[in-house]
Amino acid sequence: MNPANRSDAILVLRDVVKTYEMGNQKVHALSGVSLDIGDNEYVAIMGPSGSGKSTLMNIIGCLDVPTSGSYSLGGQMVADKSEGELAEIRNRMIGFVFQTFNLIPRADIFHNVELPLVYGGLAKAKRRELAERAIEQVGLTDRMTHKPNELSGGQRQRVAIARALVFNPSIILADEPTGNLDSKTGEEIMVMFDALHAAGQTIILVTHEDHIAAHAKRTIRLRDGKIESDVRTKDSAAA
Amino acid sequence: MSFALDALESTKIAWHSIIANKARGALTILGIIIGIVAVTTTMTAFNGMQSAFREGAGGVGADVIYVSRMPWITINDFFLYRNRPNIDLAEAAALERAFEGRAIVNPSINNNRDLKYGSKTLQGVTVLGTTHKMLLVSNRKPEFGRFVMEFDVRYRKNVAIIGQEIAEDLFGQTNPINKEINIGRYRFRVAGVMEKMGGNTFGGPNFDRQVFIPISTFVKYFGGRRFQNVDVAVKPPAVESLDDLEYEVIGEMRKIRKLRPTEDDNFSINKLDSLLDAFNSIVGAVVGVGLVVTSISLFVGGIGVMNIMFVSVTERTREIGIRKAIGAKRRAILMQFLFEAAAICLVGGLVGIAIAWGVSAAINASGLLPASISPAIMVTAVVISIFVGVFAGLVPAIKGARLDPIEALRYE
Repeated sequence: MNPANRSDAILVLRDVVKTYEMGNQKVHALSGVSLDIGDNEYVAIMGPSGSGKSTLMNIIGCLDVPTSGSYSLGGQMVADKSEGELAEIRNRMIGFVFQTFNLIPRADIFHNVELPLVYGGLAKAKRRELAERAIEQVGLTDRMTHKPNELSGGQRQRVAIARALVFNPSIILADEPTGNLDSKTGEEIMVMFDALHAAGQTIILVTHEDHIAAHAKRTIRLRDGKIESDVRTKDSAAA
Repeated sequence: MSFALDALESTKIAWHSIIANKARGALTILGIIIGIVAVTTTMTAFNGMQSAFREGAGGVGADVIYVSRMPWITINDFFLYRNRPNIDLAEAAALERAFEGRAIVNPSINNNRDLKYGSKTLQGVTVLGTTHKMLLVSNRKPEFGRFVMEFDVRYRKNVAIIGQEIAEDLFGQTNPINKEINIGRYRFRVAGVMEKMGGNTFGGPNFDRQVFIPISTFVKYFGGRRFQNVDVAVKPPAVESLDDLEYEVIGEMRKIRKLRPTEDDNFSINKLDSLLDAFNSIVGAVVGVGLVVTSISLFVGGIGVMNIMFVSVTERTREIGIRKAIGAKRRAILMQFLFEAAAICLVGGLVGIAIAWGVSAAINASGLLPASISPAIMVTAVVISIFVGVFAGLVPAIKGARLDPIEALRYE
């Protein structure tokens, strides 16, 4: 399983190990993962529970740092960054989409989408422009002033996608994005991801469902903290 | 992320959070309101007492120093002064000569005598023997009739100028001018009635229950040499020179009394400041205790806020995780919760000030004290309430800011 050594890789992991200490026991969540993901790739990360895919997602999402090994995102080494610098990287380069949507319940849709820009320190006018554009992109312009609990699950996930997109991130990292949706709505969300990919966005999906992973152009399977298989499908031969 | 942006954003979040939990927020705010009302009312009461005291001590004159045998205020140190010689008229006259052309010097002597008019008697009224210069060294003046005049003093006239309260008690609706009264065993003609002074607070002298007569007449009738103890008022032309004058007066008095350099002064210098100092140290101590006690209620209110902030941080663990995931730094989370705590306390503080304002207006209306909330007290109360908020919010906010985003996102 030799990952293609692409010159345009924006995400490079080398021998990434993550160890947790549970009492006196050391648990190896990841034991030597090397991986390159290039610009505009559409990748699904799969694996049974306990395979380390959540840990890998946390590391790719800069929510956590490897115990050993290296990870560079857009040319920046992540391992030696401070907590504040990691927050900045998450803010600017990563758009999260979660299974449970994870919107701020008391804030309206506009504010939810605007929030990364607030933390990014953008001026109000610029925030409004970018947030409105992202909301328009997911087709919820007419729901801008609604609260999340006034929307359906599919709409909430579209808000989450708008929030992920708003700062024009290097990658969108989606963790079981259809897990809480019925299959029809889930399919709509996947169509949206497909469209984003077609427009040039790099997307990483974490899922355990084959029909979701089927939307991606490359599927990486994890087992016991290692990459079991890394398969390119369809038209990713462009690489 | 700039501070201004932090502040604006955090204020918005704080507001949403407070109105989202109305009952809880209201109860927490109530704790702060009670604390702020207690503290503010205490401060206001102190201010009220102070201005009541000032009013009452108004007859003393802020720009006058008094040379007397004893300090006005003695606390457990009376024995230090009891062997001092009286200040006699000759010494007062010597002092007057020494400051001729530089300051106004007015001697006065007082004693208590019974007053009688017709069938009415007032017992133990303060009788003051003084001169026409009394009007120059104090803010007192006759309301009608006249005061002691120079020729009254020169010819030892039997004229009396009576205080308002005496006029009311002895004469009621009758015009007292030119009526004859008895002071002790001697007949005096009422020549004037003094303006009402009010006061009579905190055991100070009741200025409206005094009778003024010429000092020479006083000495003739009431001043056996042994009891002759003169208070000398000295007033400089400008209040700024009061401190300098004080040293000169001490120097002159020592000269008059021929004190050797090693001897202590055997007289006292009194002034309004020393009265105020004494007042402040006595009432200040009481108010200090009051402030400590009321501060405890504010502190308890602060603990309430801290408690609710811990609840708020725990409840919003997942929200903190989301915010961190999309790029909030520790500082942004810290600010969010600090602002929330400060906002709760600020609202409590403002409502508390409004209530305290009403309370002090009520106290004022009741005539108990001239209480009113000063802008300084309001500003202090606002600052204190924000400070309590920050203090109460700090530990919960730090707890929230330090949460690990992965753990926080997993929190159900």
